[in-house]
Amino acid sequence: MNDKIIVIGGSAGSFQIITKILSELPKKFPYPIFLCLHRLKHVRTGFIEALTIKSNLNVIEPEDKVHIKSGNIYLAPANYHMYLELGNIISLSTEPAVNHSRPAIDLTFSSAAFNYKTKVVGIILSGANRDGANGIADVHKEGGITIAQSLEECQVRTMPEAAINATEIDYVYTSDEIISYLLKL
Amino acid sequence: MLITPEDVQKIILAYKRYSTYQFDDYSEKSFTRRVEKILIDYKLDIPSYINRLRSDKEFLEQSMKDITVNTTELFRDPKIWHTLKFRVLPRYSEQDSINIWHAGCSTGQEVYSLMILLNEMDLLEKANIYASDINEDVLEVARSGEYKYRFNLDYLENYNQVIKKNPYNFDEFKDVPFEKYFDVDKSKDRMKAKSFLRQKPLFRKQNLVAQNNVFYTKFDLILCRNVLIYFNYELQNKTIDFFHSLLFNKGSLVLGVHESMLGPIASKYIKKGIYYIKK
Repeated sequence: MNDKIIVIGGSAGSFQIITKILSELPKKFPYPIFLCLHRLKHVRTGFIEALTIKSNLNVIEPEDKVHIKSGNIYLAPANYHMYLELGNIISLSTEPAVNHSRPAIDLTFSSAAFNYKTKVVGIILSGANRDGANGIADVHKEGGITIAQSLEECQVRTMPEAAINATEIDYVYTSDEIISYLLKL
Repeated sequence: MLITPEDVQKIILAYKRYSTYQFDDYSEKSFTRRVEKILIDYKLDIPSYINRLRSDKEFLEQSMKDITVNTTELFRDPKIWHTLKFRVLPRYSEQDSINIWHAGCSTGQEVYSLMILLNEMDLLEKANIYASDINEDVLEVARSGEYKYRFNLDYLENYNQVIKKNPYNFDEFKDVPFEKYFDVDKSKDRMKAKSFLRQKPLFRKQNLVAQNNVFYTKFDLILCRNVLIYFNYELQNKTIDFFHSLLFNKGSLVLGVHESMLGPIASKYIKKGIYYIKK
């Protein structure tokens, strides 16, 4: 399987950053990327299209139990939690919201950390709540790389700040630095 | 993660030993999370959890209910309902009767949504409605047809989209008041389905994993939405095969929006967009 798994969590103020990152990644990007983004519950359509327009890579809202493929970008579907399971499989769930969120970043990050240990690169972007802090702490505990968006650049700093307070963050990066880090992987 | 895969195996084994519940083929991550939540909520560790399962039947039943997930809304995902209205149900509208089974119906909102749709299509009378779940408590709520009003307020918009509007003809508008189907008491934040809806379905407890047909009939339409996501690949295929054996020829199966047939079982169905027809 892949050498790296990239998980990205974002909420308020992260949409532009995400589209910027996706637009800079090449068509042959060798690793799978998992996006767990909070969005308004009633905004169920149009979101993935907006992400796809600028991306060179395939952006998919995965169906339950599909096999993970490198170079795909998996977006947690609205109103479902997204887990990474043993055997390189994605599973979805409609369990209650965690941190008022479904999808919850914590669940995607923790399950990635549990299965992929040091292969995980976890990135927390701008957002207005604390979701993702426990998840990125798990990524660190399992030996993965942890990155938070720089607080100066963030539209809303609560989420990366919570991540920074929850664990040892390897890099606090601006979006440009995040992109060049990913390109060097 | 608080517990290890070995701990999870011990818990699964204990359920098998002390009950008929089999969680072997459940999706690992969500099952593990539910078990962790039980450990926290009841302040247990693994040995005391297993001990309670052995000695306390009531706890065993309650914990099974805590493990299974219950999410349902009125007219959840309007796209599915438009498909039911314009593509699926018309296939069976000329028959003398239509047998419909909601497998894993939870608190029943989907059951009532479909009855409302059938009624608007003048098909309710000839429909036989069956609904099952593993959890007796949610079936009790489903039978009562009584829900929090505010909880469902968001879904009034979905009701409007499915019942009042026609996505293929924007000029069409059918003014069907919500109160035709529910008595609403805003001061108590309650709403209750009208009795002609409540008395229609047959609700029964059923464990899908055990694969017994508790209704002793076959079906024209089976709805099983966001249940299979809690099963692993093997159990998903087995269950879809079970549905196949219970569908009439040309019967339809509707799964959740993000569920699909991934295994060899897919060859026994014709995929029609978001629903499946038995070959």
